[in-house]
Amino acid sequence: MPTFGITPQRLGTATALALILAPMPLLAQDADSVQAPASQTQDAAQSQDSAQARAANQSQDTAQAQRADVPLVPTQPTWNTFHGQNNAQKYSPLDQINVDNVGQLEKVWEVHTGDVSDGTGDIPATVWSATPIFANDTLYIGTPFYRLLALDPATGEQKWSFDTHSKLEALTQPVLKNRGVAYWEAKDPEPGQACQKIVYMGTMDAQLFALDADTGKPCQDFADNGVLDVNQWNTTHAKWPLSILQPPTVVGDHLIFGWAGKDWAFETAPPGTVFSIDARTGKREWTFEALSPEMREKSGTANVWTQMSVDEANGLIYLPVSSPSPNYWGGNRTESAPLATSTTALDVDTGKVVWSRQWVHHDVWDYDINAAPTLMDITVDGKQIPALIQATKMGFLFVVNRLTGEDVWPIEERPVPQGDGSVKGEVYAKTQPFPTKPAPLLDQSKKPKIWELADMVGGGQCSRLWDDLYYEGMYTPPTTQGEGTLAYPDSAGGVQWGGVAFDPQSQTAIVNVSHIVQTIKLYDREAYEKADSGSGNESGFSPQEGAPYGMRLNVASNWLGMPCWEPPFGELVALDMHTGDVKWRRPVGASQQYGFFMPERWGSPTIGGPAVTAGGLIFIGASMDAKLRAYSLESGEELWSDQAQAPAVANPAVYEYKGREYVAFIAGGNTILKDQVGDQVVVYALPQDKQ
Amino acid sequence: MPSSQSKPLGAIVLLLAALVGAAVAGYAYVTPLTGVNGSLGALVVIFACLALALMALILMPLKHRGGRIFWRLLALVGLIGTGFAGLLLHQWGIAAAMVLGLIGLILDLRRPTANRRVAHA
Repeated sequence: MPTFGITPQRLGTATALALILAPMPLLAQDADSVQAPASQTQDAAQSQDSAQARAANQSQDTAQAQRADVPLVPTQPTWNTFHGQNNAQKYSPLDQINVDNVGQLEKVWEVHTGDVSDGTGDIPATVWSATPIFANDTLYIGTPFYRLLALDPATGEQKWSFDTHSKLEALTQPVLKNRGVAYWEAKDPEPGQACQKIVYMGTMDAQLFALDADTGKPCQDFADNGVLDVNQWNTTHAKWPLSILQPPTVVGDHLIFGWAGKDWAFETAPPGTVFSIDARTGKREWTFEALSPEMREKSGTANVWTQMSVDEANGLIYLPVSSPSPNYWGGNRTESAPLATSTTALDVDTGKVVWSRQWVHHDVWDYDINAAPTLMDITVDGKQIPALIQATKMGFLFVVNRLTGEDVWPIEERPVPQGDGSVKGEVYAKTQPFPTKPAPLLDQSKKPKIWELADMVGGGQCSRLWDDLYYEGMYTPPTTQGEGTLAYPDSAGGVQWGGVAFDPQSQTAIVNVSHIVQTIKLYDREAYEKADSGSGNESGFSPQEGAPYGMRLNVASNWLGMPCWEPPFGELVALDMHTGDVKWRRPVGASQQYGFFMPERWGSPTIGGPAVTAGGLIFIGASMDAKLRAYSLESGEELWSDQAQAPAVANPAVYEYKGREYVAFIAGGNTILKDQVGDQVVVYALPQDKQ
Repeated sequence: MPSSQSKPLGAIVLLLAALVGAAVAGYAYVTPLTGVNGSLGALVVIFACLALALMALILMPLKHRGGRIFWRLLALVGLIGTGFAGLLLHQWGIAAAMVLGLIGLILDLRRPTANRRVAHA
């Protein structure tokens, strides 16, 4: 159940009171001109509240009226958010670089920030999943050392930088992590005043910084001299700081953000509050909770740690909500939690739930909804539908009407496995939602086939592992038996935070999917203490402290690290959103182990995502081989590639500056993919004489 | 007096090829944006090439037939393995160097083996 923050609640109450009580003083004055002082004070307060409420409503109405004119697809080339645009389409209408000339792309500049660590020294390893944003004729970038850089978009020359001096400690993640920055500008800027344009960046220790976009100086009117301590609102099971790794989503004058923590570590954890604050002042406006008050006491998280998307014209913000705590055991949360592991649409002004669809009931697989849903207007059977597509770790793509949450293509509740009875306290969901269209990006209905080569090299290791793994199809619950449950895919697989890109002209959706088999094994407390106690995130042991079971999550591989399942390990898929059918699919990138590149037909797992352009191109890094590539949107043919320092594990940015189109990648790497880190910002364009 | 054919030309070519391979692998290992810099694979190839160079040096003066066969076979395995590794590292220069080394090995096969009886006579 959502709870509303103090301000909207008070406004709502004040509005209701104002409507009821407004005529009363007049009547009272008519009836009796002599009132007790206390009553006069109360009336004055009510009158003031009423005036404030009216002013607030008026301001809200004005904001709504302004938003109603905002088209879903920006009319100008825009790349001022983590996903390019608030609709999360990652689409650029630029076509200077196109299928005919993309082969001539050249590196026009690269910058190495120096903010990188491979984890071998005192500083934890860095994971840099940021997309540069282009705004105010500047490229803004946040680094995993929590510095904010403003760069010249044509040359990479630094305009200014700001160091938050955040401690370089892995407080909530196994690594130092940053997903970039957010940008806001005033609709009616006051000339000569600072902070009419602001860039925001959060830190792992829960500080949100607001800096003047022109100068890089902290905005004095924002919270405490430009810094908001989000951790002041960390009041339930405050086991860790509310890390602000994902930049806020900017809607009008609202900044809306969730937070990240280590949701694999404890049974009870901070509940996943989403905050809306005033972009100018940092004042809290409303909050949203995905869990009921009772569930918040017993469990926690169901947070939003990734980007959100926004339909500004309709005043809706879409939250990809994660699973409750702990990740792999749900005996402490057997009652219904309908907003967990969901896409939930909120009113941007009030935080009130407009609709919500739960994609995993009673999630015990860490199937956090990890990407902003992509908003799109599509034509299906001749009917125009305001839709969204929600990508998932499971490899399912759910398509619903974004105004109502109703199915575009039927989403069926189907019976799912009920476990082997080895786990105490569980009450598994009897059914789970399965989309009928688009078809699942990978076939989870049966155990994936063993890769003979890996099995041979491993001396039958894969066959033995397969025999010891429990699998009854998608949503097979974790077990304490054998080597555990086979999960295909689990938390590292399916679609990650890059989400789905969309070309609104051809109504083609583009998504990269990883085929990864993982194993989940639960250990009762005694067995866990004997097994291991290493910290984990996407692999290894996790204590789930407080719960009766610790757990182990591994990738199913042989002694040499070769995957036990058949390639391809990752694909790029194009979907015709008129029909929901696959237009084409192809392996993406190349896997790499110890430096050795595997054949491209085997593909690569990918972290990060694509960008599409009106030039008929898809740009994507994301693969293990740390190559940046361009593909034809029409055919999937690879048209260009270049080597980066590390895998580019976020979407690229496409922007235009002084008449020249640029494509920017951040090559920072992610330990989920491989232990290769980078600090490279690299930007490409056509040679000057070829534009 | 040694004939021109008794000169260890093939082994010299093998040595050069191995050194070129080591240089290419070394460059790939230390240079950013080669795709394999700092990788275990590139490091292994450097050592494999140096081992091939050592084999070439051993082959040069070696006259004993059995010894030559052994080291040539070992070099052949090394060349094929290192060339394949070079291909997987996308370092075509290594693969080319290994082809050159193979040519050197073939040339070395033409070098006459010392006749023990004649030598004793």
